[in-house]
Amino acid sequence: MTNLNGIVEQINLLEPIPAIASQIMTKSEDPDSSLAEIADLIVNDPALTANLLKICNSAYFALPRKVESVKEAVAWLGLDQIVEIVLTNSVSNNFNKGLEGYGLGEGELWRHAVTSAHVAKSLAHRYGAAQNKHLIYTAALLKDIGKLILGRFVAFSFEKINILVHSQGYSFNDAEKNVIGMNHEELGAMVGEKWSFSEKLIYIIRHHHLTDESARQDLETTLIYLADIICMMMGICAGTDGLSYRFYSDVLKRINVSEKDLQGIIAETSENQKKIEHLLKLF
Amino acid sequence: MENNQRNANAVSSMTAVNFSEMKISSNPVETLVAFSIGSGIGMTIHDPVSGVGGVLNFILPDSTKANETNPAKSPFMFADTGIKAFLKALFEQGAKAENLKVVIAGGAHIMDQTGVFNIGQKNLEALKTSLGDFDVKIHHEASGGTKSRTISLEIGSGRSIIKTFGEEEKKV
Repeated sequence: MTNLNGIVEQINLLEPIPAIASQIMTKSEDPDSSLAEIADLIVNDPALTANLLKICNSAYFALPRKVESVKEAVAWLGLDQIVEIVLTNSVSNNFNKGLEGYGLGEGELWRHAVTSAHVAKSLAHRYGAAQNKHLIYTAALLKDIGKLILGRFVAFSFEKINILVHSQGYSFNDAEKNVIGMNHEELGAMVGEKWSFSEKLIYIIRHHHLTDESARQDLETTLIYLADIICMMMGICAGTDGLSYRFYSDVLKRINVSEKDLQGIIAETSENQKKIEHLLKLF
Repeated sequence: MENNQRNANAVSSMTAVNFSEMKISSNPVETLVAFSIGSGIGMTIHDPVSGVGGVLNFILPDSTKANETNPAKSPFMFADTGIKAFLKALFEQGAKAENLKVVIAGGAHIMDQTGVFNIGQKNLEALKTSLGDFDVKIHHEASGGTKSRTISLEIGSGRSIIKTFGEEEKKV
């Protein structure tokens, strides 16, 4: 077993999310906060505004003319889209790296994060959680943040983890816990605590593989889980952990996902992937 | 899609075949590769006589089950429409059914993903049904389990290479 304090200390090596981005994150997660409040936060931060306008004016969005203010950007793209851009932009620096231990090359965890966030958003609309779409988008984007730190420890103990997973039927996250003493969900939740994420966001990060039975009753956590396994099944940057997580058919039944629905969501994700690839280049 | 099927001008190249895509080549220095396959299946086919080969990377078994997706637009997303179109394209380039060497990798599943939700298993079954219709046999298969795989085809040698994390590379 590894020195857990040594692992936790490494949270400090991550690039913290800018204060303004975490304020926007918190506001956007609250269905009662007004869109105008969020727009105000953006306008009052010149660096964020400049970055946002650069992204909005990229060829990806194909706007008919150059936008020069947050107000204009919101008018063309809608505030939901703007919030998504701000959230995505605020975490991209950490995620855009390669990941030792999980066998992911540069940008692969980022591709997984952004794709799963878009799948999760689509699921939120399908399965009655549209009012929490920003929370769900953010949670899917950040769910594997613990992997950024745990990766090197996974690399160090990979043989042991691999034996537990492929000879003894452990899921990858249970094997991490068994060998290292901590898994990427727990470590991710600690990052969330340190960075003052909302309780709910921390909860989803901590339980996104649904190992805890009570988490399977929670709609938002279930949707993030579902988005994650869909990406795994599609091989969207599946690394050394591959598809080695548990499947819970009862949660699919509970929210009424049929076999045909599952295949339909995978087809839709495949159709959207070219757009996502272009989007990834913006951050 | 047609534009991507040939890359005859390349001097030496590796061409990615993303999911829901198919590529064919008769360029002897080209390697076609389907990276990071989960429940979908990467399928290489090579005809040593005509020198033509290709890779299909499909992710779903049945084109009639994908709600709003038009199989005519995305035939290579599905086993049924994809394999048919793949073989047809190979035959048009001079390949013959009796010469074909078929290698497949994929069809993995999430742990405990059984029954109707086991899309990896369904993909494998659909593939075998489709190949049976054309009387084409599988030369080598790396399928099932919970690992993701990468499969490539060297057009010149006709050799397929399967890579799986934690395992030795398999050349067939």
